[in-house]
Amino acid sequence: MRNILAALALTTALTLPGIAMARPVTLTTTLKNYGGNGAYLAIYVTDPKGAYAGSLWMAGTKSKYYGHLSDWYRATGGNTAEINGITGASVGAGRRLAITLDLADALFDAGYTLHVDAAVEDMRDSPNEIAVPLTAKGAGQPVQGRRYIAHFSYGM
Amino acid sequence: MKKTLAILFASTALTAGIGFPAWSAMHETTLFEGLSDAVLDAGQDLGVVLASDDDDDDRDHGRQFRRGDDDEDDEDDSRGDSVSAPAPAGSVAPPNNGLFGNGAAPKAQVN
Repeated sequence: MRNILAALALTTALTLPGIAMARPVTLTTTLKNYGGNGAYLAIYVTDPKGAYAGSLWMAGTKSKYYGHLSDWYRATGGNTAEINGITGASVGAGRRLAITLDLADALFDAGYTLHVDAAVEDMRDSPNEIAVPLTAKGAGQPVQGRRYIAHFSYGM
Repeated sequence: MKKTLAILFASTALTAGIGFPAWSAMHETTLFEGLSDAVLDAGQDLGVVLASDDDDDDRDHGRQFRRGDDDEDDEDDSRGDSVSAPAPAGSVAPPNNGLFGNGAAPKAQVN
C-alpha cells in the first residue's frame, strides 16, 4: 500500500509541474485588405538577447518563398525542420488567423519577444512587421502592423 | 539672285522647323537629367533635405516574391537549395524547441 501511495505521489509530483509550465495562448493576426494574394507569415520568438529561440507558426507551405520572410530566414537558414508540424496555409487579405497553442510559461515576463515576418506575392517584403514583448500584461493588447497586418494580439 | 535667296531661306526654315523638334526630343532626357542634377546639387549646397515617402526600413526590404518561372515544376527549393517542404500542422508533433509547453499540436483557424 505504501509503495502504491509513494508511486502515486511521485507521478503526481512529476506531472503537476508539467501542467503548470504551459498555458494555452491564442495568437490572432488580422490582415489588412491590401489587395494582393495570400500572405506568408512567420511567427517566431527571440530570447532576451535577441537570438532566435524558435518558431511558433508558418503560414504558407512553399519553402521556395521562405527567403522573403527574411528575418526568420536569416535566423533559421530556411530550415524546414523548424516548422514541421506548425505549418498551415497562407492567409488571404482581410482574413483573420487565430492559432491556439500551449506556450511555455517561461516565455512570459522573461524578456522574450514574439515576431511576425510577412510577405505577399508581387508586393514588398515586410520582415519584423510585428515585434511584441511576451508579457502577462501585454495579453489582449492589439499591436498594429506596418504593411500587411492590421493588428496582432495574443490572449491567455 | 532673289530666287536663290528665297530657296535658301525656305530650306533653312524647313530644316529648322523639322530638325529642331527632333533634336529637342533626342536630348530631352539628358536635359532633364542635367536640370534635375542641378536642382539636387543646389539643394545640397543649401542644406535642403529632400523628402521621400520611402523610409530607410522600406529601402532595406524592398524585395518581393513572384510566382516566377520556377513555379511550373512546383518543387520546394529555397534559393536554389534543395529543401523539403515542411510537414503540415497535425501530421507530426511540433518541433521540440522548448516553446511548446506540452508538445500538443497548435490549432489554427482562418476566418
